[in-house]
Amino acid sequence: MTEAVLRLEGVTKRFGTVVAADSVDIEIGREFFSLLGPSGSGKTTMLRIIAGLEVPDLGNVRIEGRDVTRQPPYRRGVGMVFQDFLLFPHKTVAENIVFPLRMQGVPPAGRAEALGWITDLVHLKGLEGRFPHQLSGGQKQRVALARGLVSRPKLLLLDEPLANLDRELRKEMEVEIRRFQLELKIPFVYVTHNQEEALTMSDRMAIMRDGRILQVGGKLDLYHHPDLAFVAGFLGAPNVFEGKVTGLADGLAIIDWQGYPLQARAKGGLAVGQRAVCFVKSEKIELFAGTGQGRVDGVLRDAIFKGQYADYLVHLAGAREVTVSGPPRAELFAPGRPVSLSWSAEDGDAFPAGG
Amino acid sequence: MDVRTRRLLFLAAPGLAFLFVFLFLPLVSVVVYSFWRTASYEMIAEWNVDNYVTLLTEGTYLTFLWRSLVMATVVTAVSVVYAWPVAYLIAKHGGRYKLILVLLTAAPFLTGEILRITALQQILGPIGVINMGLTSFGIAPVEALMYSSTATGIGLSYLWMPFMVLAVYLSLLNFDFELMEVAKVNGARPLRAFIEIAWPLNRAGTAIGCVLVFIPTLGSSVTSQFLGGPNGALYGNILAHQFGATGTWALGSAMGVVLFGLSALLIALVVRVVGDFRRSGLTMSGR
Repeated sequence: MTEAVLRLEGVTKRFGTVVAADSVDIEIGREFFSLLGPSGSGKTTMLRIIAGLEVPDLGNVRIEGRDVTRQPPYRRGVGMVFQDFLLFPHKTVAENIVFPLRMQGVPPAGRAEALGWITDLVHLKGLEGRFPHQLSGGQKQRVALARGLVSRPKLLLLDEPLANLDRELRKEMEVEIRRFQLELKIPFVYVTHNQEEALTMSDRMAIMRDGRILQVGGKLDLYHHPDLAFVAGFLGAPNVFEGKVTGLADGLAIIDWQGYPLQARAKGGLAVGQRAVCFVKSEKIELFAGTGQGRVDGVLRDAIFKGQYADYLVHLAGAREVTVSGPPRAELFAPGRPVSLSWSAEDGDAFPAGG
Repeated sequence: MDVRTRRLLFLAAPGLAFLFVFLFLPLVSVVVYSFWRTASYEMIAEWNVDNYVTLLTEGTYLTFLWRSLVMATVVTAVSVVYAWPVAYLIAKHGGRYKLILVLLTAAPFLTGEILRITALQQILGPIGVINMGLTSFGIAPVEALMYSSTATGIGLSYLWMPFMVLAVYLSLLNFDFELMEVAKVNGARPLRAFIEIAWPLNRAGTAIGCVLVFIPTLGSSVTSQFLGGPNGALYGNILAHQFGATGTWALGSAMGVVLFGLSALLIALVVRVVGDFRRSGLTMSGR
């Protein structure tokens, strides 16, 4: 990360008894940054505080070093894209897009030039004269993006902009939005509860829950090295095993689960004798046909073919079912056959239970 | 006639009958009377256009019509300026009390019109609250409030304001207040955001409110009779006079037709101005 464009310092916001932001500190540079968390975790409030639509109870917001905490939104020079598009229904596509420029007093010639440039970038050429109700969902979102970007804001805030689009369109837009960010080198702050979007587009991301930032880092780092049980359980499609810690050595823990000694990285100050939860992501488990020494035995309940890969649902002891993702293999498309699982110790993460 | 048409006719019949008896027939009779003449309190069915000639040539009628037009315009403008903040506040921040708050603005309707005007007299008149208060402090009373056109204007604004509040409020119920935030994030100061977004998107509702205030004000008579004083008569007073003291029904009918024509003209104008539905945002599909 280069110099910080946006800096949040101890930002706190309460709505009645609900803490929407709990002393949040974040630094964001010229990068694609995602705030990822379940609904109600305070992501949108954070975005509204950055935009100036909410004033925090405590803490400061700095944009390019300047304290803007108490500045109204129209002085911040920030762009924003909303989940519901929120285009101005009585203005044409062109009028919607150049709205920020008009508010800044850019003369008509400058506006026309910027309009040409941005409609080119977001592929809206030829639709300038239409009204919002004459556009498809994807086109509306492109207009919203163009309006957010046209004035080359100091940063662009995106509040679940793809939530109302269908799956195909979402995938296409993920790539596009990332392209805009790389081309314009404007910091994007992207709020979503959809980890696939966050993982696809982000440089770095933060996991939020109950108004707090739990962990910040590069997306691969967060995915592969979670510091907290919540993060480990939130990212990817992890399987969970709960058991007692029987041994600790070299940062690895051995957990007794249904008589099997499972291995995982020990985190969160795990101690021998303690109960632990162990997370293993579905794609990190290896699946073998038939039983095997040192592996967890089970029965294949179903194999779901997804094209490039397959999800295998495996029934284990104690009525436990786990999902294993891997290449589709013909011999494994046989429900009812005995199988066994294993994973390397570094691919599991064990945390104290109930933490 | 097929079954479908017959069923439609059956369903529309009560409404059509109502309109026919209470709108169409009186209207036709007024139009017919306006081309007759009256002599010694009797309608005489002789077709002529004398009534209209009188209205156009005798200066008094035009003066009173002009006075009523100015009054209705001012009252409508005052209503818009006053009702907008009230309606905006209720629609945006009224929460679950919205409906009660809006109905409260119409609370004076719980009493009769005469009673409301009399109450206003108690406030504005020479022995009213304002002027009595001023004189008790040794300050001269405000002449303009006593039996004047200003008093009539205040009275009419007060009487018809609830319609404007209601019309703007109903329009704002459909307004997406988030659009104001969008405008502000995009650099619009609050007033600019209002001019760019809130106003044009509620133009149709405001126009309906204007019609609802303008038309009854244009034809009003009771308010000016009570509050306007000796020189405060409006077109409506003169019109009422024709059906009362002078008994010149035919001329009164012609005056009514003029009023109707002007109102129809106004509605047509409003439809033209706010008729572009794409620009009114009534489709509400910015989302």
